[in-house]
Amino acid sequence: MYAILLLVISILAGFIGALLGLGGGIIVIPALTLIFGVDIRYAVAASLISIIATSSGAAASFLKDHLTNLRVAVVLEIGTVAGAMTGFLISSSIKSSWLYFIFGTFLLLSAFLMLRKKTDSRAEKNHPWSEKLKLAGAFPDGKGQLVAYKVAAVPFGIFCMFFAGILSAVLGIGSGIFKVMAMDGAMKLPMKVSSATSNFMIGVTATASAGAYFLRGDIRPEIACPVAIGIIFGSILGAKAMSELPANAIRKVFVAVMIIVSIQMIMKGINS
Amino acid sequence: MKTEKTSVELEIKIAYFLRYGVFIAGCFMFVGWGMNFKFSGDPYFGFSIYDQIPLPDLVEYYLRRKNYGALISYSGLAMLIALPLIRVLLTMVLFLKQKERTLAVIALIVFLGLLLSLFLGIEP
Repeated sequence: MYAILLLVISILAGFIGALLGLGGGIIVIPALTLIFGVDIRYAVAASLISIIATSSGAAASFLKDHLTNLRVAVVLEIGTVAGAMTGFLISSSIKSSWLYFIFGTFLLLSAFLMLRKKTDSRAEKNHPWSEKLKLAGAFPDGKGQLVAYKVAAVPFGIFCMFFAGILSAVLGIGSGIFKVMAMDGAMKLPMKVSSATSNFMIGVTATASAGAYFLRGDIRPEIACPVAIGIIFGSILGAKAMSELPANAIRKVFVAVMIIVSIQMIMKGINS
Repeated sequence: MKTEKTSVELEIKIAYFLRYGVFIAGCFMFVGWGMNFKFSGDPYFGFSIYDQIPLPDLVEYYLRRKNYGALISYSGLAMLIALPLIRVLLTMVLFLKQKERTLAVIALIVFLGLLLSLFLGIEP
């Protein structure tokens, strides 16, 4: 019955994740460690599998909507892949207790970031790399019109992606929240393009460390399979229910839960 | 314009390849997990303490015990991890078709980085 419970929690994680624009890892990792008592290293590895599944499965939708900037994604993937490889090496040297503490701190930070007001600022001119690589694009505004945008601060964007990649490998998350902040805050991409491009990239980011975790033997099918299957199924349901449910109200409740869980993870790290 | 439309169609074909790939990998994982499913007991008890066992040793263990469910699950997991690698490779091909050599080289660097990352998990 524990396996069924994990499957149900993973479905719920995928459902809420799709509704609030979060990866399932933020829910599944605390559940695996606090409820099932699984060591955080196995939880991190399993979470990365679910991230690959949801990102790869949803790639078609992101591209069909013409929101994903594939060129920007490929350029920024240099940063995330390098960061994820570095993160894997770092995680090998960190004690499990520190991982609980870091994850709890990250969860607390994410809770506050979820409450921030999102601004949609635009770049006035392209960065020279953006000109050379033709990274600028256009996206549909929902009224049938294409809105053009430019891409600024490309090197800084790659630099931010490096740190997002480290977090992804160490904590088993997609780091979408930081990727979107870098793309919309620093590179001045429109919010919709940032979100879609970030969702498109997280699969590659997760793979950069998931392959290493897999060969090291940290990805165990008993944990990873129900997590991946549950999150895929839940995110499909969540995407369909998105327009019917009050996302803002759910977000506020979820933020409160995240704060409580983050404190529990931090305490577990301190007490280990 | 025609080249741009063809490129977009190619991108979407790559994305649908990923979607079907996830479905097939998911089926393998579901079947493998189902074959080892137990209604009673705590299957996660043994994972409360981290014990590093390399994948080849695990595969050998399951082969000796003829635990085909676990092996099918591992096949599904391997397929899933391979998908983004293939996506990046196909993206490189796409950029070559578009005669975007710099972006193709960048995609190649990302692909080689992903291949290199696999070796980080192999114990010397």
